[in-house]
Amino acid sequence: MTAVIQAALNGAMMGAMYGLTALGLTLIFGVMKVVNFAHGSLLMVGMFSAYWLIRLTGIHPYLALVIVPPVLFVFGYYLQDVVIKPVFKAEGQVREPLTVIIVTTGVWYVLDNLALMLFGAEYRTVRTAISNKSFALGEFIISIPKFSGFVVAIATAIGLALFMRKTKTGKALRATSLDREAANLMGIDQYRIYNIAFGLGTAIAGIAGCVLIPFYYVYPSVGVVFDIRAFIIVVLGGLGSIPGALLGGLVIGLIESVFSQFMASTWTEAIIYAIFLIILFVKPSGFFGHKQDW
Amino acid sequence: MSRKQLDRILLAVVALAAFGLPLVVTSPTYLQILILLFFYAYLTTAWNLVGGFAGVLPLGHSVFVGIGAYTSSILTLQYGVSPWIGMLVGGAIAAVIGVIIGLPTFRMRGAYFCLCTIAFAEGIRVMVENIDTLGPLKINGPRGLLVPLLKDPTFWDYQFMSKLPYYYIILVLLILVLAFTWFISRSKIGYYLAAGGEEPEAAAALGINVANYKLFAMALSCFLTALAGTFYAQLMLYFYPKGLMGLDLSFEIAFIALIGGRGTIAGPVIGALLLRPLNEFTRIYLSDMLPGLHLVIFGLILILVMIYLPKGLTAPLAALYDRLARKITGQGAAK
Amino acid sequence: MKNGSITTILAGCMGMALSAALFAAPALAADKTVKIGNVEPLSGPSASVGVQGKQAREMAIEEINAAGGIKSLGGAKLELVYADSKSDPTVGVTETERLINTEKVNLLTGCWNSAVTYPATQVAERYGIPFVVPVAVRDTITERGFKNVFRIAAKDSWWVRDQFRFLKDMQEETGVKLQKIAFVFENGDWGTGFAEKWRELAKKDGYEIVLDEPYPSTATDLTPVVTKLKAAKPDIVMLVSNAADAILLTNTMAEMQVKPKVVLASGGGHADPKFLENTDTNALGIFDEVEWNTDVNKPAAKPANEKFKKKYGYDLTGESVDAYVAMYVIADALERAASTDPAKIREALAATNLTTGPGMIVSYDGVQFDETGQNKNAGIVIVQVANVDGKPERVTVWPKAARRAGYVPAFPANK
Repeated sequence: MTAVIQAALNGAMMGAMYGLTALGLTLIFGVMKVVNFAHGSLLMVGMFSAYWLIRLTGIHPYLALVIVPPVLFVFGYYLQDVVIKPVFKAEGQVREPLTVIIVTTGVWYVLDNLALMLFGAEYRTVRTAISNKSFALGEFIISIPKFSGFVVAIATAIGLALFMRKTKTGKALRATSLDREAANLMGIDQYRIYNIAFGLGTAIAGIAGCVLIPFYYVYPSVGVVFDIRAFIIVVLGGLGSIPGALLGGLVIGLIESVFSQFMASTWTEAIIYAIFLIILFVKPSGFFGHKQDW
Repeated sequence: MSRKQLDRILLAVVALAAFGLPLVVTSPTYLQILILLFFYAYLTTAWNLVGGFAGVLPLGHSVFVGIGAYTSSILTLQYGVSPWIGMLVGGAIAAVIGVIIGLPTFRMRGAYFCLCTIAFAEGIRVMVENIDTLGPLKINGPRGLLVPLLKDPTFWDYQFMSKLPYYYIILVLLILVLAFTWFISRSKIGYYLAAGGEEPEAAAALGINVANYKLFAMALSCFLTALAGTFYAQLMLYFYPKGLMGLDLSFEIAFIALIGGRGTIAGPVIGALLLRPLNEFTRIYLSDMLPGLHLVIFGLILILVMIYLPKGLTAPLAALYDRLARKITGQGAAK
Repeated sequence: MKNGSITTILAGCMGMALSAALFAAPALAADKTVKIGNVEPLSGPSASVGVQGKQAREMAIEEINAAGGIKSLGGAKLELVYADSKSDPTVGVTETERLINTEKVNLLTGCWNSAVTYPATQVAERYGIPFVVPVAVRDTITERGFKNVFRIAAKDSWWVRDQFRFLKDMQEETGVKLQKIAFVFENGDWGTGFAEKWRELAKKDGYEIVLDEPYPSTATDLTPVVTKLKAAKPDIVMLVSNAADAILLTNTMAEMQVKPKVVLASGGGHADPKFLENTDTNALGIFDEVEWNTDVNKPAAKPANEKFKKKYGYDLTGESVDAYVAMYVIADALERAASTDPAKIREALAATNLTTGPGMIVSYDGVQFDETGQNKNAGIVIVQVANVDGKPERVTVWPKAARRAGYVPAFPANK
């Protein structure tokens, strides 16, 4: 029983972070109706940014949390503006243009392999002020980097939800998400909103990068590992839903951690796919998705 | 000379050139590269039946390559069945699994369909990696299967000392699948598929049961894809789940189609003609100094093609040919 | 679209025919060089080991050429030709074909990944070109009745055999009795192959298997595995890990305060030069099975390692030593064959009995191949990560004859 509770605690912490890696993906889909295949690469960029910042300056990872996301916002904003927007413009009438998916796949290949050319294939870790630290909660051991990741993930989700509700930009994002044409008619510049959404999604990948670096390693194709999981999470939670991403992440994290106490951990991967497919057939819109989206 | 005659002459020339190519290219190195080129062109053409004509983007086709390779190899290794027969059995199994996957997924929209095919394929790969034996069948988990190298193989063994037979087998398969595609694209089925891909609601309103045609296309596509799996197994004599059933192969197939021109007959071949040599030569000449450069070039081409030629390279090439043909035949604007 | 599309195939094919004509240019065979083709992962997931093997080969070739090359061939120089396998079997086969047919290499070496070595050696066997495999440990590589495949490294059944010998010897030496054993391994070709043999031997030696756990090598989190390990309370934990997961596993075990009496790894990720850098004191006490260690008791070993470290900035590893030795084995065979004919080279390789010379820095006595092409002397050492002058260092502890003088192994490492 102790092992199961320990596994559940760990699963919840990892799950929240998986949710965080999926948050940017779901935001971009919600607004742009596009699955961003480059999302894992953006996460990789976030992780490398955090890695180099901490490695070269030795700053505390919490401090990296205020530096990396704004930089990634700018990166994402212009990436969408320069690379993805032209395709959108060409296919303005299509609701879910497949060509945009393909362009994001191209971005994925370019970013991952640029990283390979620049930094090499090796695995890199950096010792931060909180790496390898843990505290005891009764007989359970809580890892400090994971616990702070958990807190940051939930705070980010709440912050994003508030931003979408309370601010003018957030409302414009939601309006575009609900009805592109109507938003256009109301004087919202659709493409600027896309830039902002993509920038925000990238900034969240930057947050995830800062949170992962204290206990995880980075290498050029690290994004792929998180990518597939993030896809599953957003579909589980409902494409475009912020609480859905967090909940989906928690579910996956818990399954992965708790189920592996009863079977070989290689099987939990198969179980995650099975549960994913079952939910998809029973309730294709996921936990919080809109029917129109699937 | 009429346009039709010109087309026929050219087609005959190309077919002859393809059959005669080994007379010029005698080096097994380049034969191997050509074999892989045709192999990818074949896989992409088979994918195109669903990914091109039915208007969806499946990203898990490598799993059917795996099914083909596993079925024929297990039958050969454990029961001594010729891979030629195993190939057809594998195709049939792949077709059934394709329909099972297609039934629920074809009612989904673009993004969901994409993600579901990925989940299905990855799920099956993970299962294969976790299974050592399935009843009497030895699957061997992540270690994959090794087909023994025979000293004096006969045709029935589907194993040859020279590259030449492999070249002709894959060439014939490619021509068959192209002919198939050509036939379907001119038939009622192709028309319905295209209608369902572009305007599903309108097609449904006309009383066309798009779903059934899509399932038919899926079954056919999976069957053909699995045949290539057996071919791969017999060419390489070794395969394992991560290499053969992973997402890399699925994505590469889709890329070739998209760059060449999805939903066109020539698209997959043109895509393979461009990307495969690019892949081989950048690896040979560049990977020593800059690993990954060739994939950056890949990605850039993909982005540029999508921005400037969203329908792929076939459209401008076809237009160019049209202009030339008109000059040669001396005819005015055709079409 | 219809007509146009068919005919565009034509245009493309013609372009291809043209480029094919370009390929056909014959390679110029230079005099007095022997070309050695090397298929190695130079990009992709195993790129770092590929580069390590490449650098070790280069150092050996420089030495051999500087010492006058192959004298029986009139001082012919050795030349290395590399091909990148990307750890992908398909690419490995294409590249092996290219090395044989276009580069006209006289013999081949490679491929580190067993998955690439299987089909690549099949190609070489078809053409009758000798193929020296420094590393790729699966038993089956030399058990297919091939005439042209020679392996320097020990095969995996020997690795496992020696792990259990080590456990037995150490328990006798220290009087500590260990009973419960746990297996944790990456779910790939390598890990599952080891685990299969672990089960057999553990049963034979009367251990109680309390955990038998494969994990996906792409796992983002190994805490569930470590939690399980904690609950199973094993005395001995046997590991097979790649680079990234070895680091993750070691750090997670330290964080979760899992301290089994003996942790015994199987090289690979644990032997990677990056491992100690990334785990530091968390790795203290771990036993690791490798083919070679810097403190090995051979006169040529120390200078070779110092030279290598000066040149490339890190210590030789077991796998790079295999690559290094392979070059000396090849040079020795060429010297005796006095010919570049593949069949003659093959005969000379089969008759190899190399015990002395500058290349012999291995931990065992000499290289000699059995009838399957396996180096029958290939030996293994077990090292322990210990605190030497305030820094974690790998110290040889087994076999006892090879143990670093004055070092007392911490067995068990934890109470």
